[in-house]
Amino acid sequence: MRVLKSHFCECSTMDVARLLAWPLAIIALFAATMHLAAAAGWLPAPRPTLDLDRTILTHQLEASRARQDATLVLLGDSSCLMNVDAAELTARLGQPVLNLGTLSYLDLNASAELLRQFVAANPGQLRAVVLLQHPEALRRPAPQEYHTNLLQHLLDGRDFGPRHTVQGALMSLLGLEIFQSRLLARVLPAPLPGAFRQTYGFSADLDRHLTEHRGSLRDPDVQPLRGSAEYRLAPALERASRDFRAAMPSGVKLLVGITPVPEEFAGRSYSLTRDAMLSKWGQWLEADITLTNLPPMLKDDRFVKTTHLNEAGVREFTETLARALAPHLR
Amino acid sequence: MTFNSAVFLQFFTAFLLLYWLVRHHLRARNVLIVAASYLFYGWWDWRFLSLLFFTSLVDFVVGLRIERAPTDSARRTWLTASIVVNLVVLGTFKYYGFFIDSFADLLRAAGFTPHLPTLHIVLPVGISFYTFQSMSYAIDVYRRDLVPTRSLINFLAFVSFFPQLVAGPIERAAHLLPQFERTVKITLPMIEEGLWLMVWGMFKKVALADNLAPLTDLVFQSDSWNAPAVLLGTVAFGFQIYCDFSGYSDIARGTARVLGFDILFNFNLPYAATNPREFWRRWHISLSTWLRDYLYIPLGGNRRGPARTHVNLLATMVLGGLWHGAAWNFVLWGAWHGTGLAVHRAFAERRSEETTRGGARFRALAWCATMLFVFYGWLLFRARSFEQIVGMTRALADFTAPAWLASYGVNLVAFTAPLILMELWQSRHGGPLAPLRWPRWARGLLEGALLLGIILYWDKDNVPFIYFQF
Repeated sequence: MRVLKSHFCECSTMDVARLLAWPLAIIALFAATMHLAAAAGWLPAPRPTLDLDRTILTHQLEASRARQDATLVLLGDSSCLMNVDAAELTARLGQPVLNLGTLSYLDLNASAELLRQFVAANPGQLRAVVLLQHPEALRRPAPQEYHTNLLQHLLDGRDFGPRHTVQGALMSLLGLEIFQSRLLARVLPAPLPGAFRQTYGFSADLDRHLTEHRGSLRDPDVQPLRGSAEYRLAPALERASRDFRAAMPSGVKLLVGITPVPEEFAGRSYSLTRDAMLSKWGQWLEADITLTNLPPMLKDDRFVKTTHLNEAGVREFTETLARALAPHLR
Repeated sequence: MTFNSAVFLQFFTAFLLLYWLVRHHLRARNVLIVAASYLFYGWWDWRFLSLLFFTSLVDFVVGLRIERAPTDSARRTWLTASIVVNLVVLGTFKYYGFFIDSFADLLRAAGFTPHLPTLHIVLPVGISFYTFQSMSYAIDVYRRDLVPTRSLINFLAFVSFFPQLVAGPIERAAHLLPQFERTVKITLPMIEEGLWLMVWGMFKKVALADNLAPLTDLVFQSDSWNAPAVLLGTVAFGFQIYCDFSGYSDIARGTARVLGFDILFNFNLPYAATNPREFWRRWHISLSTWLRDYLYIPLGGNRRGPARTHVNLLATMVLGGLWHGAAWNFVLWGAWHGTGLAVHRAFAERRSEETTRGGARFRALAWCATMLFVFYGWLLFRARSFEQIVGMTRALADFTAPAWLASYGVNLVAFTAPLILMELWQSRHGGPLAPLRWPRWARGLLEGALLLGIILYWDKDNVPFIYFQF
């Protein structure tokens, strides 16, 4: 029986190579142009507003570097960013407040860096710094490497992307990272994820919202209250706190507080734990004031997740914070 | 396994190597294609391989039995067996829950408290595609349009051919099956066409459809709407589903092309249509022709008077809607298109010679009306509930602008403009393969830019192909 051939090719390997040569040459040309343009300084600085975290960090860093009217700056993790309404606080205190809270994935060194940037851009203007962290952030042993690197690259004006993946490495090699963060992100707002998209829309809208609300944001992403309620101070926090203190300009008051946790979730004994943590942390920071009269807990229905408050919660906490701060800012 | 995944790139590279190794043996090639196709499908869920094999086996055996049947009645019995088995498989895995839930709703509305048996079955990927493809083989053999194959391997390869297994095109045995029975020739123009289709298809999926997906979600996952949101969201979905599905079809055809095979074109610039009938001649061509040949014409087509023709159109499109998914909005979408086709047919029959010669202005108006019709259909298709359809339709009277309007507009333009520009050019220069006539450097420039776009947005959110669920 004759065995039929499967297939035969009427072209040579060279023919196929010639076919691929043009697209590959174009890609190589693009990569060379991007790297050259970035190295020569022909392109604007990276502004990678490509997702929620990067938009928040980029905005807060730019805010810290811009001329501002604020005499009081809020610094801290995402509970500072999302649980305090800086515009409302400004109205209640009668002095301009700027919220430079960032993300729980960063540590106090990031807050210290933002403070340095603010002081450099607005010399002699600052009267007080309020440092607010959630107990979950206080027990975190180390910041996330990705976020720390991202902030450092933003500070240095360098391009940054996740290079541990094949796509990330290719993006970097082919100059797409440069193209995306220096050019594309400036003209094409990125849609935000999940509930943030439904509430704020796109990165440009979030950016505008942050500016209009003096750096504050509300978390719309409702999730069940979960995690461990055993709160403690991470040993690494001591060193970070002392470094933060060193970044404080002289003559500026440092007030420190811990943002609330859900009442049922944390348990009643948490109040004592919070007081002990705040006292110790205040000592490490050599804080001028420890805000012991802030509520350690709020009702569970004031939260969208363990760390973040809903609209009613933000209103309540901002009101309490204003009352707690007022006597110390006169 | 999906085309837009790293594992498919590895799979296809390995497959090409093995394909080259078996180049002297047709039977070995077909065994390789079946093995690779089953691996491709089993990567998603190996348990459903048995279902794919069972469906194929039934129609293979039925094909042979029909040929050998001594009487017409025996032939009909075997065909009925094939149709019943295929529809039972489809009904069990795809529609059982839908009909039980709908029946339970009906009973509840009548004041009863139903306790009906429910099955929690995962919907096998691509079941509607391969069931229809396999079933049409038995029908073609019954109609004596096709001589049944005697090779099970060739038949398995025809049903499971991995480029088009999970989301079509729904191939006809008369077109694809003979290709497994002969030596195929691979020429440079075929490779050029295959590469172009793979790159353009992947760009449409990864760079356009996947970036339109969050725009669609922003509107359709909301609970409150206004006219700008509804209009923009519906346009975004219309382009998303087109880029997603036509992207898949292009990759499928391109992949087959570089292997030396030819599979059907599934799309031909559908948004250039100027009436509903033309739209269905350009959109999901393999399904619309399947419905025409195996449903509309057997129902009587247009041979039994205008009233019956309209009923046939409506019935065909309602079932076509239901083919897409077990939900009432798909039925409504099918009915919408059935009604549109019937109205257009009635209009076309009475249209005077003068109107037909209306020229560019008439065509522009007809195009606008067709797009309004098609895109409102997409709203019905994408909506999650009847309440949402009503809410979004009512919102068309509310012209409040959402805060994100400008950002949305920029994104919508950015991720639809490449498609619109390309298709405008294609429509004026000879159709989807027109770029193949460009000089090599010009096509290289375009393919290079498209590849950069693919890498830029590769696996961004790992959005699955929309039509996998059907």
